Amino acid sequence: MAGARYIADPESAVAQVALDGLSVLFHAPSGTTHVLAAPAPEILGVLREGPADAAELLRRLRARFELGSEAGEEAIRARLDELETAGLVRRA
Amino acid sequence: MNGGSDEEGTGGSGREPAGGGFAPSRRAVLVIGAAAASTVITVRPALAQTAGSVLNCEIPIPQPAAGGSYIAPDGTLVAPGTQGAAPPLGRPLRGEEVKALLRSGTVPAGVDPTSAQAYAHYIRRLQAGMSGFTCYASLQMPR
Amino acid sequence: MRHGLDLRIGPVAFRIGSAWPGPLDALAKLYAGYPTPEDGLCDFTVRLEPGKPWRRFVRPSVAIRGDYVLPDAVPMVLAHGLLAAEMGMNLQMALGQKSYLLLHAATVEKDGRALLMTGESGAGKSTLAALLGERGWRLLGDEFALLDLVSGALHPFPRAVSLKNGAIAVLEAEVEAARFGPRLEGTPKGAIRHLRPNADALARMDEPARPALILFPRFGAAAAVRGVGQAEVFVRLTQASTNYVALGRRGFDGLTGLVRKVPALAIDYPDAETAIGLVEDFRRELAA
Repeated sequence: MAGARYIADPESAVAQVALDGLSVLFHAPSGTTHVLAAPAPEILGVLREGPADAAELLRRLRARFELGSEAGEEAIRARLDELETAGLVRRA
Repeated sequence: MNGGSDEEGTGGSGREPAGGGFAPSRRAVLVIGAAAASTVITVRPALAQTAGSVLNCEIPIPQPAAGGSYIAPDGTLVAPGTQGAAPPLGRPLRGEEVKALLRSGTVPAGVDPTSAQAYAHYIRRLQAGMSGFTCYASLQMPR
Repeated sequence: MRHGLDLRIGPVAFRIGSAWPGPLDALAKLYAGYPTPEDGLCDFTVRLEPGKPWRRFVRPSVAIRGDYVLPDAVPMVLAHGLLAAEMGMNLQMALGQKSYLLLHAATVEKDGRALLMTGESGAGKSTLAALLGERGWRLLGDEFALLDLVSGALHPFPRAVSLKNGAIAVLEAEVEAARFGPRLEGTPKGAIRHLRPNADALARMDEPARPALILFPRFGAAAAVRGVGQAEVFVRLTQASTNYVALGRRGFDGLTGLVRKVPALAIDYPDAETAIGLVEDFRRELAA
């Protein structure tokens, strides 16, 4: 059964800058700034392709990146929880 | 010395764009990591340390509007005389005292050590509009 | 208000009003040689008022008011009126400045390269900046760094340096008496004495500088130097800024621009001379 689906704001709503291995991101709708470590920015990036649940996001990430065999949905869901708390994604 | 970086775009993985119609010869590695990891930190500046040189402030414990309420160990207000609760503090705490109390548990002069924790929790629970809140915010305590 | 003084410090003009003449006399003397605002237009107002009406005469106490106020502030004794005026100006900047990104930092410049020193209160930034100001560096300010959000340059804001306790004697040994304000005892921070920046700093207060190095000095340990990652610098600078959040996207762009272009170091230092030696080493490296 599919898990909760999430939506991310479009690229135009955020400003993102790489700073030595981390990303700092300004979210215009809320005016807040966040510091993100991998894989949070990459999850946001593939989520912008369209609303998705953790399983779908994992598929999109596998298509774009070399993921370790241990990469699982549980970790993706944990990242989505964090991004939701930060106000960067919301439930569809 | 660290030099500035000119890279724009998402951090960490650095990838080549996938071309339409053919598979890229190499994809970047992305470590998904453990579920328990923390990867999103929200920046929450307070009034910032400059206020420390701006302002000599005080926090009354509890605020005058509390009318003699006692302070439970978790910092909430309870009826006067409640078992195990701390009495109102006879004098307001100065900003420097609050900073030391919250940062390293230093008990302010003349304060009962068994009550100090309750007072600390009371301070941490202060909301905008309550007497002492702007003083607390100006001490730049992370939430 | 009974008494008033208009002052321009770098790009910011203040009108300071007072119910008592004493604090403004001291302020005018400390800021001798500073320009007056053009056309009398001021950006911020500070008012030194009696906390309660009778406090104008009976055990006079000075409440700091102005365009911006902090409700929990405790009034100060009249003897510390000069300090109240300085704190009032800090408060207006901290809460009202929107044209520049404000960083709680001391800034000095030499050979066109500016050094930004930031970190915890009490780390000795003001003292170091004041000393460097007497050793061939130009003092841009010891309290606030003003970052131009478009050009990325630092604008001078050369207020009087606020020296505390032990630092007072250190500077008294190097600087002539005429540049000092009165010694104030028993303030919330101990003894304070204000020091006017030198003639060069005043003459060039409208000349911005390019930031070349961000420094996080920490007093007390044996001399040590380490690099600081950009993300850490960024977060630490948001904590050192009073208006980063209020500036929104402009603040984000300005601060990320600064952090990406300017290297950062953390230094531990056991005494001022060691710190100054390290700073001169960095300056020579940057010039090479």
